[in-house]
Amino acid sequence: MADLSPLALQLRRFRANRLAMVSLGLLTCIIFACFFGPYAFPFSGEDADFDYISARIDLFSPHPFGTDEFGRDLLVRVLEGGQVSLTIGFLGALVAGGIGVLYGAVAGYAGGRADSLMMRAVEILYGFPYVILVILLSLLLGGGNVALFAAIVFTLWLTPAVIVRAQAQSLAKREFIEAARAGGMTPRQIVLEHIVPNCAGVVIVYGSLLVPEVILAESFLSFLGIGIKEPQASWGNLIQAGVSEMETDLRLLLLPGGLLAATLFCLNFIADGLRDAFDPNDR
Amino acid sequence: MPLTPTTANLLSVRDLVVSFRLPGGAMTAVDRVTFDVKPGEVLGIVGESGSGKSQILFSLMGLLAANGSVGGQAVFQGQNLLGLTPAALDRVRGVSLSMIFQDPMTSLNPYKRVGDQLAEGLRVHQGLSKSDAWRSAVKMLDRVRIPDAANRARRYPHEFSGGMRQRVMIAMSLLVRPALLLADEPTTALDVTIQAQVLDLMAELAREIGTAIILVTHDLGVVARLCDRVIVLYGGRIMEQGSAEPLFINPVHPYSQGLLAATPRLTDALTPRLGTIPGTPRSGGAMLPGCPFAPRCTVKIAACETTQPPLTAITPDRHAACHLTGAP
Amino acid sequence: MLRFVLKRTGDGLLTLAALVTLTFFALRLAPGGPFSRNRKISPEVQANIEAAFHLDEPVIQQFGRYLWGLAHLDLGPSTRFRDYSVSDLIASGLPYSLTIGFWAVVVATFVGIGFGLIGALRRNSATDYAVGVIAVTGIAVPIFVIGPLAQVVFALNLNWVPVAGTDGGWRSLVLPILVLSLPNIAYISRLTRSAMIETMRENYVRTARAKGIGPTRTIVHHALTGAMLPVIAYLGPATAAIITGSILIETIFAVPGIGRFFVDAALNRDYPLVMGITLLYGGLLIAFNIATDLLRGWMDPRVRHG
Repeated sequence: MADLSPLALQLRRFRANRLAMVSLGLLTCIIFACFFGPYAFPFSGEDADFDYISARIDLFSPHPFGTDEFGRDLLVRVLEGGQVSLTIGFLGALVAGGIGVLYGAVAGYAGGRADSLMMRAVEILYGFPYVILVILLSLLLGGGNVALFAAIVFTLWLTPAVIVRAQAQSLAKREFIEAARAGGMTPRQIVLEHIVPNCAGVVIVYGSLLVPEVILAESFLSFLGIGIKEPQASWGNLIQAGVSEMETDLRLLLLPGGLLAATLFCLNFIADGLRDAFDPNDR
Repeated sequence: MPLTPTTANLLSVRDLVVSFRLPGGAMTAVDRVTFDVKPGEVLGIVGESGSGKSQILFSLMGLLAANGSVGGQAVFQGQNLLGLTPAALDRVRGVSLSMIFQDPMTSLNPYKRVGDQLAEGLRVHQGLSKSDAWRSAVKMLDRVRIPDAANRARRYPHEFSGGMRQRVMIAMSLLVRPALLLADEPTTALDVTIQAQVLDLMAELAREIGTAIILVTHDLGVVARLCDRVIVLYGGRIMEQGSAEPLFINPVHPYSQGLLAATPRLTDALTPRLGTIPGTPRSGGAMLPGCPFAPRCTVKIAACETTQPPLTAITPDRHAACHLTGAP
Repeated sequence: MLRFVLKRTGDGLLTLAALVTLTFFALRLAPGGPFSRNRKISPEVQANIEAAFHLDEPVIQQFGRYLWGLAHLDLGPSTRFRDYSVSDLIASGLPYSLTIGFWAVVVATFVGIGFGLIGALRRNSATDYAVGVIAVTGIAVPIFVIGPLAQVVFALNLNWVPVAGTDGGWRSLVLPILVLSLPNIAYISRLTRSAMIETMRENYVRTARAKGIGPTRTIVHHALTGAMLPVIAYLGPATAAIITGSILIETIFAVPGIGRFFVDAALNRDYPLVMGITLLYGGLLIAFNIATDLLRGWMDPRVRHG
């Protein structure tokens, strides 16, 4: 067998996973469509077209997937909604993951009192049913999109923190950390240069699940009316609008719902693939 | 189970082959191994890591990994173990054939009391009642010198030290009075200071019951201490076999000679260097056309790399597979 | 064992205390009071209302008053539904939420474990893949998409169950319970499956097989305990997830449970009601976590021996 670095081996394993690769491809298409698709149309998702109110699917009309009751093109709205959901998703996962990793690395490496205190705080926060925490935080920070983002991130950093802390704890006992300390590295340096990078594998595996979690959280809240609000589109509030029409017109529900489901499917399969690639003991 | 006093073989292994399906291709771990075990005797199988010695035991017990396959036969008490269905094998395992494993720390069920684990075999195979089985279990714990056996039996494995856990394993496997005990490196994971104790205990108990032992190890000292006969294994093939003491005093095969030269002895002069065998043990891959030891052999000839030397009798009591020691 | 129980209960109470305190002060510090969204009322009326609800007192005093009320199981009056106290509101919604939540947990646990075991013991068979597909669907497709779709298919088109509301007796609860349990069925079945596969690989299961006790006994007496532990550990978070999901379910299926009250209360800054429901959920969750920890302590002697 050729001599490959561990990272190259892991990437190769990932590439061999067809389901994950197909998902990756599909996801890329969805992202591309959401961010560049709307440019293909002469109107935006907020423009009302009074000639076509509640139009049905007609692939040859200017509105191929129809419009809603205000005459807004459904496809463009769904794509624009995708922009919002996907951006919040990836950005949120990044921030939540970042906070979690730092918190966990510090707690795990520090050990002792600091660790128990930090973990106690995590335990208490974990005890909240998650939606309650998000709603409370969203309120506290004054409602609005930034508050929403902050609230979601604040609930989701807990899991990465717990996982990284466990990893950091076992790392802290290893000899090379001891050597670094003996060599005069400050705790801050050790955490940033040794502990955090060595948690990369674990972080990638569990962190990749954060993206669908954030997207789900935002959609969930937008569906309830607490998240992204009209007229701005997000998959969540589009689905909610679709639900109110579902007895007569399913496509208002199916288009955003289907796209959301497809995105989440892809993200989950990719996360699974990453986990299989970086930890081959599974399955 | 009661043994009929006979010199007929208890176990006859013929041309045992064990191979594994790996992503990179098939790998042969055991290559046509043939040996016999007599009732009550202690046979040692010695070799380095990767020599395939543990796989021999696993194949007899039907515990091979899912990607493994066996060939050849292993006749035990009139049945070919390798051809038995799992259900039929369950009537042999834990009844007349027992096994103890290398790592005592993980080989016992952490969620069950030690006494229950001991009693289980008796209850399942001999239909003993709970209390009778428990009583036998406690007696056996006492026999393997676990102090305060009656109370200790109610404890869980994590409350025992490594050495004690291995003694529990010995108790568990010999409680059913098997005809043959397979021991896979039973003391490798233990403290050096208690290895001898545990080994002696195992041998003593087995002698008492009349159980034969196949002892797999990489430690020559262990073999010298306990074994009547020895098989030296390398690369899945038998290099040399015979009675233990004569083999140790006068090894014939270059590999055996190398192994013994690498073992420090109190009687040796204080030489500055320990003898070593050059190279590293075989790992994976297909079998070589010639002798598996050829790449590392210091006295090889041309034939060694092209043809596998057959296992031939040097004396009635000694067989070796080497072109240089070929049949007269 | 007793020490373990006491310790866990003590921990739980501590967490509950922290919960009460945090929530109380957090809400007080939130921008906007409970009345700032109403139509314009004169400052005097506003002051009167605030006095009636003790909102003009120092925060610490309000807290003390609240704790005193808690001790008497009085959660205070709702600031939005003036004629009702928080306890009344919670009491009216609780039966619905509890029923749906309870059954969702039960269904999720049993079906999830069942699917997971089948998947583990019949790996890569058709059943395994079918179960796998259900699992991914449950995890990936959100409740608020499955719920309405289920309504369209089973209620509107097939007419097996009512679309929403609670008039249909037990039939009204079928869809809410099933949809609510779906994500957890998915998660639990995946967890069970991988836990079982991993446990079967353990050395002590190999020892059991070597004793010739047969596959059934090996699985039931040796592999099952180890496999169930991570699943039981997950039941705590699973309940939290169900509580979260129940809010959505109550909205979609028009069930007058406390989930809906919560969202309304949050949007209208009805502090007492938000507090009351938060405490209820938090307390429930803490109790449930203690129960599962105790169960694990009973199953795994290494946990209870410290």
